[in-house]
Amino acid sequence: MDFTYTDDQKMLKEAARRFLAGACPNVEWYLEMEKEEKGYTPALWNGMAELGWMGILFPEEYGGIGGSMLDMVTLMEEMGYAALPGPYFSTVILGGCTILTAGSEAQKQEFLPKIAEGSLRMTLALTEPATTQYNPSLITVKAKAEGDSYVIDGIKLFVPDANVADWMIVAARTAGKDADRDGISLFLVDSKSPGIAMTLLKTVAGDKQCEVVFKKVKVPKANLLGEPGKGFAVIEKTLQIAAVAKCAEMLGGSNKVMELAVAYAKERVQFGKAIGTFQAVQHLCANMKMATEQSIYITYKAAWMIDQGMPEARKFAAVAKTWVSEAYKKVALIGHQIFGGTGYIVEHAMPIYSRRAKTGEYAFGNPNYQREIVAQELGL
Amino acid sequence: MAWDFGYTKEEEAYRQKVAAFLDKELTEEIARQNWEDLGLDKEGRAFGNKLWESGLLGWSWPVEYGGKGLSPVYDFILIDELGKRWSAHVPNDVAYTMVGHTILRRGNDAMKKEFIPRIVRGEIEFGLGYTEPEAGSDLANMKMTAIDQGDYYLVNGQKTFNTESHYSDYHWLAAKTDLKASPYKGISLFIVDQRAPGITIRPMITMSGERTNEVFYDDVKVPKNRLVGEVNKGFYYMMEALMSERNYVFTPSRYYPYLNMLVDYAKKTTYLGKPLAEDPMVRQKIAQIAVEIEATQLLSDHARWMEWNHQTMTCEPEITKVVVSEMEQRMVDNAMQLLDQYCQLEEGSKYAPLKGRIEWEFLHSFMTTIGAGTSEVGRTVIATRGLGLPRG
Repeated sequence: MDFTYTDDQKMLKEAARRFLAGACPNVEWYLEMEKEEKGYTPALWNGMAELGWMGILFPEEYGGIGGSMLDMVTLMEEMGYAALPGPYFSTVILGGCTILTAGSEAQKQEFLPKIAEGSLRMTLALTEPATTQYNPSLITVKAKAEGDSYVIDGIKLFVPDANVADWMIVAARTAGKDADRDGISLFLVDSKSPGIAMTLLKTVAGDKQCEVVFKKVKVPKANLLGEPGKGFAVIEKTLQIAAVAKCAEMLGGSNKVMELAVAYAKERVQFGKAIGTFQAVQHLCANMKMATEQSIYITYKAAWMIDQGMPEARKFAAVAKTWVSEAYKKVALIGHQIFGGTGYIVEHAMPIYSRRAKTGEYAFGNPNYQREIVAQELGL
Repeated sequence: MAWDFGYTKEEEAYRQKVAAFLDKELTEEIARQNWEDLGLDKEGRAFGNKLWESGLLGWSWPVEYGGKGLSPVYDFILIDELGKRWSAHVPNDVAYTMVGHTILRRGNDAMKKEFIPRIVRGEIEFGLGYTEPEAGSDLANMKMTAIDQGDYYLVNGQKTFNTESHYSDYHWLAAKTDLKASPYKGISLFIVDQRAPGITIRPMITMSGERTNEVFYDDVKVPKNRLVGEVNKGFYYMMEALMSERNYVFTPSRYYPYLNMLVDYAKKTTYLGKPLAEDPMVRQKIAQIAVEIEATQLLSDHARWMEWNHQTMTCEPEITKVVVSEMEQRMVDNAMQLLDQYCQLEEGSKYAPLKGRIEWEFLHSFMTTIGAGTSEVGRTVIATRGLGLPRG
């Protein structure tokens, strides 16, 4: 056993902390990004690309640096700490990883180097209005084969960053009945294709989630990603990676909230004493510490299992997503409690984090969804 | 240096050996004596002997005292494998996981030679003599005195909640040796023959049926050579040992058997013609138990890893302690909801499910957030030592 970062990971962590502290300067800037339709700035995006972060998970032959999932969560933790806005997650994990898993050599050559250099943004259109569930077998959006093309019809909902994605991966049913595991296919779809309409949703965290309506959208057969009808396993793999990466992001946010609240408890004076001397406040801080500590190790263990290719990764990704989702929510609530009224003001950092904790909880499977996966893995 | 959640080849080989041995030798009866803190009787002692004879004890202890000189990871593996099979700790665990380490750190050579080899072999047990009626969470407030009489100490006073004393060979006793100094600088540790003249042991039976004891000292003479380390350093020794002791005593692995039992129950029990396991609420509750056990096991793995890599622990084992004890209470509550009215039935009753173990664990779980330091003291430690908050 070893609970330490490699030297490279330490360097990555430090570089990320430094860059993001400058790039995401203050609460006003976050609020501006939330109001802004794009939700990020080109300077931020290009800076991250220059640091090599876009290709962190891709092999060198596709312009990446051949990093591991443990490298990814190391970086992701810092992104959560900085509450980084923008389509990094959607592009690299939802787009890039899915192509890496299922893409043909030609597709990998076409898309991955562009993602790695920062010239392409992507996302994954998966969940739908009727269930909003991540279970791929519940997909009802249809893709019908017509000559050299497929024609996609239906609505995808809660598609992250679709408003800025140049391409999206769309999961649609090409065969089988409702709720069948087989028959789901994945398509690489140009966002500018005729028949696509997007509506930006107004969300609690001010992030960019969209409704994407497909009306007779024609996609060339060559844009099938992976084998037709075999999309289920591909999506599951991406969701596993996404859940663990999201855990790392939430863990970083948790750490940040704890840091802010503990620092405040040390300096805020009431009744003639720093409030951090009161046991009532100390115990709240201890609760943050306990919840966050568990989040660290369960996240890194899940990432390690993915890197090791262990079958238990499915269970541990779900364990991690359940735990960290609830831990971050708890930590954010305590952070607010310690800051009192001052943390309730919109210009304060606390709401940036507590609103994201909520979004994170629901991304890639909420705790109820994840517990169901755990139950399956327990043999129930 | 890189994140790694697995065991080395050597560690894994040891784990498999232990697992194979326990699967063969650890009977339900022995495991339950251990689990339910009933004390070691003949079978328990025979099992401890076999563990030593099979070469599975003592890997983490110095070679000169009969060990293999390896890192504590081997003892942790042993404890976890026992825990996974309903055995909460090694037989004679106060000696093996708590007292022995302090003797090794602070005892003189003669004391080490006298006690460590027998501890490594699992032969002797100690009763932990810390708590007193006026010294619970505030341990420094103890009143028991050990007065230097030239060639011996004369000990008087009362201890309470000394769980092993009715079957242990020795008492690991904390008493005041300097009545004028601050309590932190006036307490010493002693090894006392538990059957010495002047000691009276009275049973205290807990709500879950465990036995613990009151121990009275009436002019008990303790030889000078049974002082541990230096005089008046006792409180410091106790605190020095605390983090490591938590790493050995609070073992999340002991909850896996409950989880497995509940999974099995849900699969085999039908409700309105369907297995309970098909009920989404049942699946959620059992999965939540699994989530908490896994996340807590990692706290323990991490804190122990710090120990065997000689890192300074500030509050990590304390975190394990608080979390694992509160988790036990939530686990029991969830389990009882699954059993519905049957959860009230104790072992031996008509209709009692799962040998009444959930009912027993319910009774036991009131203690876990109190024994060895309350959750409140624990949280204060985490806040002050772990997060640097000022002391009130």
